[in-house]
Amino acid sequence: MKNANLIAMSFLSVALAAGMSGCKHRPPNTIPIPDSGRPGSNSAQTPGPGANDANPNPGGITSESIPLDNTAYADILNGPHNADAEKFKADTIYFDFDSSTIKASEESKLQEVANYFKGNTKHEALIMEGNCDERGTEKYNLSLGERRALAAREYLANLGVDPQRLKTITYGAAHPVDTARDESAWKKNRRDDFVLITPK
Amino acid sequence: MKMTNKLFLIAILLGAGAVSGNADEPPIEIHKPTAYVVPIAISDFQGEVDSVLKFDLSVLGMEITSPDKAAFLIGGSQNGRLEGRLTAAGATQPLWARAYAGGVARTQAHAFANDIVKEIRGTVPIFQGRIAFRQQEGNSTEIAVSDFDGYNAKVLTRDGTLVAGPSWIPGGRELLYTSWQGGGEEILVHNMSTGKRRVFANYPGANLSPEVSPDGQKAAMILSRGGSPNLWVCNLDGSGLKQLTSTRDEDSCPTWSPDGQEICFVCRSGRAELQKVGANGGRARALRVAGVYGNMTSPDWSPDGKWIAFASGSRTFTICVVPAEGGDAQILVAGEDPCWAPNSRTLIFGRQVGNKRMLCLLDVPTKHVKDITQIPGSCSEPSWAR
Repeated sequence: MKNANLIAMSFLSVALAAGMSGCKHRPPNTIPIPDSGRPGSNSAQTPGPGANDANPNPGGITSESIPLDNTAYADILNGPHNADAEKFKADTIYFDFDSSTIKASEESKLQEVANYFKGNTKHEALIMEGNCDERGTEKYNLSLGERRALAAREYLANLGVDPQRLKTITYGAAHPVDTARDESAWKKNRRDDFVLITPK
Repeated sequence: MKMTNKLFLIAILLGAGAVSGNADEPPIEIHKPTAYVVPIAISDFQGEVDSVLKFDLSVLGMEITSPDKAAFLIGGSQNGRLEGRLTAAGATQPLWARAYAGGVARTQAHAFANDIVKEIRGTVPIFQGRIAFRQQEGNSTEIAVSDFDGYNAKVLTRDGTLVAGPSWIPGGRELLYTSWQGGGEEILVHNMSTGKRRVFANYPGANLSPEVSPDGQKAAMILSRGGSPNLWVCNLDGSGLKQLTSTRDEDSCPTWSPDGQEICFVCRSGRAELQKVGANGGRARALRVAGVYGNMTSPDWSPDGKWIAFASGSRTFTICVVPAEGGDAQILVAGEDPCWAPNSRTLIFGRQVGNKRMLCLLDVPTKHVKDITQIPGSCSEPSWAR
C-alpha cells in the first residue's frame, strides 16, 4: 500500500518534470514574480501621531512586588516639567555584573535620596533609570536594567518614600557613561541614575 | 521506459526509499536528505543572478563546487527573463526547466533558488522573505526592514532615540516595537503601508518584547506595572489585558507556540531559564533543557512547532536549539537573538564582530553560517516576517 502510494507520487512528480522538460519544443512553465505587496515594500517615512489609547486600571497584583501607579513616564514628561539629572549625580548606584541586588556600599546613597525626596513633595516624581554594561544580549539587558531600576524603587519605598512617586525606565546597555570595553568602564555602566521631575 | 529510468534515478539521488506515514496520512514522497551538505555546481549565469543563486543555496547548506563533484547541476540562461534548469549529476535530462519573468533579476533568481531548494531540501520557500531589525545610527537605534539577505533595506524610523525588539504582525503589513521616543518606553504599532504609528502599550514601567500570536489576534509582552517584569497578554486592539505571570522573578522574551496555545518565555530567578505557560493562564513550568549551563535568553518557537531556538551564555552567547517538549539541546554557533525563517530550518541571528553587531543566517542541520554583509553599520534583533 505504502509502496504503491510512494510509486504513484514519484510517478506523478516525474511525469510533471518530464512534462516540463522532456519535450524541447514546449515553452518552459513561466512563474510570475509578484513585485509589489511584499511586507515593508511600501513603507512611508513619516510617523503618524501617537495615540494613548491603552491604559486601563492596574490589575489586582498578588505578589509582594509594589505595583506601579497608573501614570506612564511619557505622560509625566508630556506635561510642563523640569527634569534634573544633576541633583543626585553623586548618588548613582552601581551593581555587580549580571546582578540587580543593591550592594551594602550603595545603601547610604539611597538613604540620602530618600531623605531629600520624602521631605520635598514639590517634586512630582523620581525616575530611576536602569542601565547595564554592554555584555549580554539586548533583550536580556533591557530586562536587567528594569530589574535594577525596580530594585532601587523597592528600596526607597521601604525607606518610606511613596512608591507612586517613583518611576522606572530601562535603557539596557544603550546609555553607557564610558564606552571603553573593559571592566573599569563596565563597572561604571552597571548603574541606576536618578532624575528628579518637578512640575513647572 | 524513460520515466522508469528517471524514477530510479531520483530514488537513488535523493537518498531514497525510506517511507514514513500510515494509512491516515497523505502519502509521503521520497525522503529528502536534510543534514548533509549538498555539493552543487552553478554555470551559465553572471552578475546578480549568479551571486543570488550562490548566496541563497549556501544559506540552505549547499556547497558550490565544480560540475564533476556536484550532485546537482544548475544552469540556464538570463536575458530579461530567467530560464533555469536543475539536473541531477549524471542525468542527460534535467529534472525540470522553468522560466521566471517579471520583477527584477534578483527576484527572478530568488524564485529559481526557491524551486531548487524545494526540490533538493523539500522545505518551504524563504528567499522572498522580509526581515525587520534594529540598526545603530550614530548614538541612536532605529527600526529597519530589508529582504532576508539584507538587500532593499529601508530605515523605518527617524526618531533619534532608542528602539527595541521589532516583531511582525502576521501578514507582514505592520510591525510592533518598543520605542523611547516619548521619553518613556512604549510599544508602537507601525503600519508599513501608511507609515502611521499608534501607541499599542504605554503602561508605567517597562513595555518590552511584544510578540503577536500566530493567528494575529493577541500580543504577549513584558510589563513591569505590577512591580516586576512579568508576562502579560492582550488582544491586538489593546483590550483584554491579562497578567500571565506574577512572580518577583525577571521575565522576558515571550514567543508563541504555532497553535497559539502556549507561550515560552525566559524567567530569571538566579539563572535565566526557559519556561512555558498556557496562553490563557495557568502555572508556568520550566522547559527541560539538557546540556546548557549558562543563562538562556531570546527563545523563538519554530513555525512547525517542533523546536525552540534560544541563546545561552552570560558574557558571550551561543545559539542553541531544543525540542519544544524539552530535552537535549543542540549547541550550534556563537550568536544571539535567533529567529526562525518560515521553513523551520533556517535561523537568522545576530553576532558581535569587533565593535559592531551583524546579522547572519544559520542552516541548523548542517550548521552552515552565512553572514549578511549587505547592510552597513551595526544590526541586531532580527525578526523574520512569517
